[in-house]
Amino acid sequence: MTVLETRDLCYTYGAGMPFAHAALRGVSVAFEEGRLTAVIGHTGSGKSTLAQHLNGLLKPESGEILLEGKNIWEDPKKIRDVRFKVGMVFQYPEYQLFEDTVEKDIAFGPRNMGLSEEEIAARVKEAAAAVGLSDTLLQKSPFDLSGGEKRRAAIAGVLAMRPRVLVLDEPTAGLDPVGREQMLRQIEQYRETHDATVLLISHSMEDVARLADRVLVLKDGEVAMYDTAPAVFARADELEAMGLTVPSVARVFAALRQRGVPVPADVYTVKKACAVLCDLFEERGVPTC
Amino acid sequence: MEIIKANAVKFEYAYPDEAPRVVLHGVDLGIEKGSFVALLGHNGSGKSTLAKHFNAILLPTGGTVLVDGMDTADEAHLYDVRRTVGMVLQNPDNQMVSSIVEEDVAFGPENLGVPPQEICRRVEDALRAVDMYAYRDSAPHKLSGGQKQRIAIAGILAMQPEVLVLDEPTAMLDPVGRREVLETVHRLNRERGMTVILITHYMEEAVGADRVVVIDDGSVRMDGTPREIFSQVEELRALQLDVPQPTALAFALRKAGYPLPRDILTEAECADAIAALLQKGVSA
Amino acid sequence: MLKDITIGQFFPAKSVLHRMDPRMKLLLTLGFICMVFVPKTWAGLALIVVFLAMCVAFSGLPARLIFKSIKPILPLILFTSVINMFYTGSGTLLWSWKFLHIYTGGLSNAAFIALRILCLIAGSSLLTYTTPPTALTDALERLLSPLKVFHFKVHELAMMMTIALRFIPTLVEETDKIMSAQKARGADLESGGLLRRVKAMLPILIPLFVSAFRRAYELATAMECRCYHGGDGRTRMKELHLHCRDFLAVGVCLVYLTALIVLNIFLPHAI
Repeated sequence: MTVLETRDLCYTYGAGMPFAHAALRGVSVAFEEGRLTAVIGHTGSGKSTLAQHLNGLLKPESGEILLEGKNIWEDPKKIRDVRFKVGMVFQYPEYQLFEDTVEKDIAFGPRNMGLSEEEIAARVKEAAAAVGLSDTLLQKSPFDLSGGEKRRAAIAGVLAMRPRVLVLDEPTAGLDPVGREQMLRQIEQYRETHDATVLLISHSMEDVARLADRVLVLKDGEVAMYDTAPAVFARADELEAMGLTVPSVARVFAALRQRGVPVPADVYTVKKACAVLCDLFEERGVPTC
Repeated sequence: MEIIKANAVKFEYAYPDEAPRVVLHGVDLGIEKGSFVALLGHNGSGKSTLAKHFNAILLPTGGTVLVDGMDTADEAHLYDVRRTVGMVLQNPDNQMVSSIVEEDVAFGPENLGVPPQEICRRVEDALRAVDMYAYRDSAPHKLSGGQKQRIAIAGILAMQPEVLVLDEPTAMLDPVGRREVLETVHRLNRERGMTVILITHYMEEAVGADRVVVIDDGSVRMDGTPREIFSQVEELRALQLDVPQPTALAFALRKAGYPLPRDILTEAECADAIAALLQKGVSA
Repeated sequence: MLKDITIGQFFPAKSVLHRMDPRMKLLLTLGFICMVFVPKTWAGLALIVVFLAMCVAFSGLPARLIFKSIKPILPLILFTSVINMFYTGSGTLLWSWKFLHIYTGGLSNAAFIALRILCLIAGSSLLTYTTPPTALTDALERLLSPLKVFHFKVHELAMMMTIALRFIPTLVEETDKIMSAQKARGADLESGGLLRRVKAMLPILIPLFVSAFRRAYELATAMECRCYHGGDGRTRMKELHLHCRDFLAVGVCLVYLTALIVLNIFLPHAI
C-alpha cells in the first residue's frame, strides 16, 4: 500500500530572481508502506529538497504530495500534523539539541504534539532505548555527551514522535565503522517494530546496499531510476556516469564478469557475494583447504 | 630521515576534582620524510589528539615530540614547528578566515611576515597545486565542500611546510569531494615529495598509503604497510575498525574454506584471485 | 532561501572608482559628506548633483542601483521635508489652514534639504557599491593604525570585522537549517503572543549559540595552525599604493569645493 506519494513535484529556489535554480522538475514517486527506500544522487541532485517537501517544510511550486491519500497542503493550518507523521532527521542532527537534559530534548516533539505527561514519558523512554541511550544519560545535559551519543539523542527526539514515515538525511555521516553499523541496525529495528516506512538519504553505497529494499536515484531534480536495490546496482555503469559509486563488492563482481566468470550483476553485499561464490566454487569443484 | 619523532608521548586532561583522563599512553612513533602515513582509529581512540601534538597545538604531558629536530615544547621554536607541520582540520567551513579565497590562502604567510610579493607568488603556486586557481576571487561559502577543503590545503601549502597533517579531512564531504581531496593529497606527496599524515576512519582511504598506523585507546596497536595491516581482519575488527570490502570478501571466502591469499587489498586483486581459484577447480 | 542574501552591496566591476585605493575612497567619501553641507545656493547644489553624476558615470554602475539605495530612506526624506515646509516663514504665503502655513520659501527650503540628503545617501552608497567589504575593513585598519600609539587594538578590530563578514553567510545558513529541524519536530514559531514567541525562539537560539562557540573554537585552532599571533610582525599580501588616479580624484574634489565656496560668496543664498 502506498503511504506517501508525490505527483509531478516542481520546486525552484529563488523563483523569479536572477539566481533561480530548479531543484525539482516533475518528481512523481510513491513510497510503499513498511519499505526502506534509499535516496541517492550527487550533491545538488535534489535529494534534500525532495525530503523537505515530504513533511511540508517546503511548499511545492506545482504538483502535490499525498500522505495516506490526502494532499498535505489541503489545509495549511494542519501542516504540523503532517510533520508528526513524517519524521525528519536532518544531516548532523546533533546540532539541533537545545534543552538542559537529554530527556527534555527528546520530549520536545511529543510535547509539541500535545500528548499527556505519561504518554510523553513513555515515548521518551522507548525512543531512548531504541537508539541505545541508557537511563543515566537521560538526566545529563545533551552538551556533555560524546559525539555519537549526541547524534543518537537527536534521532531519538524524532523517533519519540513515532512517525509513520521516517526520513533520514545522512544519518551515518562522520561515524566510525562500529557507530555506523549500530546506527543502521537501530533504524532497521525501528522500521520493524513500528512497521514504519523509512527513507534513507545517503552517499554511502555500502549503507544503501546493506539496508534498502528499493533505491530512488535522483539526477538534476528528476527521477533517474526507481527500482529494487539489485536492479539499480546492476546498472553500475550508468550510476558511475552520474558521479555515483557502487559498492566495492559490486565492482569486484564486475571485474569477475570481465574475466569471463559467470556471476550475476545484482550482487552488492559481501554476504551475498560470499554465498554466490561459494556455490560457484562448489559447482566447479574447487578444493577447500 | 625522520621528520617527526614522538618519544613516549603521554597526554592527559587534568580536572580539578576528578582523576585525570589519560588520552595518550606513551606513544612512540617516527614519521619518515616524504612518506604517506595513514593514521587509523575509531572515534575517541586518541588519533586526533596525537595529531595535534605534531604541530604544538597540544604539548605532551610526558615524553617529547621532535619536529625536524626541534622540541615542540620549546616556545622559541613554536612558529617554526607550526610552519614545518601544517594541519588541515575536519570542517572546511571553520578554518577559513577571509571571504575571498586568495586572501584566505595568504593568511598563513602573512602571519609569518613573508614579504608581499613573495606571498603573491606562494598563493598562486598553492592554488595551482590544489587546482583551484580559477576560484581565487570567489567567496568560500559559494564553493562545494571538496573545493573548500582544497582551499584549506592551499592555505597550508602557502606556508611551505614539510609535513601536511590532515585530521579527517573527508569526514564531512560527499564522495566527489572525498575523491578530489584524496587525489590532491596523493599528488602533493608524489610530485612534491610532501610528507603526508592522513587521519581517517575510512579504510579505503588508507589503502593508498605507504604505511598504516592503527591507534586504539591512546597507543599504537598496529604499524605496517596497508597489506600487512589489512590482512589482520579479526584484529582490526576487535579494534572497532573494518577492512576494505575486497579484503572482507576474501576473508569470508577463506573462512568458508577456500584458499584465497590473506593480503588482498584492491578490487582487481580480489577478482584475479577468485578467477585463479576457479581455474584450479576446472583443471582439478 | 536565506543564504542567497548578499552581504554588503558590493557590485563587482573594473571601473576607475573600483580600482581606486580604498583608503582614499573612504576619506573622500567622508570629505564628500562634508562637502554636501557647503553649498547654500541652488547653483552650488546643482554642482554637487553634477559631481555625483560624474562619479556614477565613472563607476560604471547602472543608475538603477543608485536609486535602489535611495528607496528605503525615501519616507524619511519625505517626512523631514514636509516638516521643513511648515517652518520657514519667508516669501509669499501660498496656503494656510489654522496654524499651518506654507510659504514659497518653505517649499524651496524643503526641496533643498531633500535634495541634499539624497546626494548624501547616493554618494555614500557609491563607496559600498565599488568597494568589497574586505577592502573596506582593510582600509579602516590602515587608516586607524596611527591609533596604535594609544594602545587601541586596530588590528584586532579589523580581524574581528573580517571574520564576522566571513561567517555571516555560514551562520545565516545554519539558522535556516536549525529552524527547519525544529519545525520538523513541531516547533511553532508563528503563533502566540510576544512572550510565547520569544520562548519559541529558544530552540533555535540555543543551538545557534552553541554552534557559534564551537565554530569559534575550531577557527581559533585553525588560526593557530596557521601561525596567527596577532598583528605584530604581520605582513599583507595586498599592499595599498596611491596611484595617479587617487591624487587626481583629490584634485577634482578640491576644484569642486572651491567652486562651491565661490558660489556661496557671490550668489544669493537659497537657505
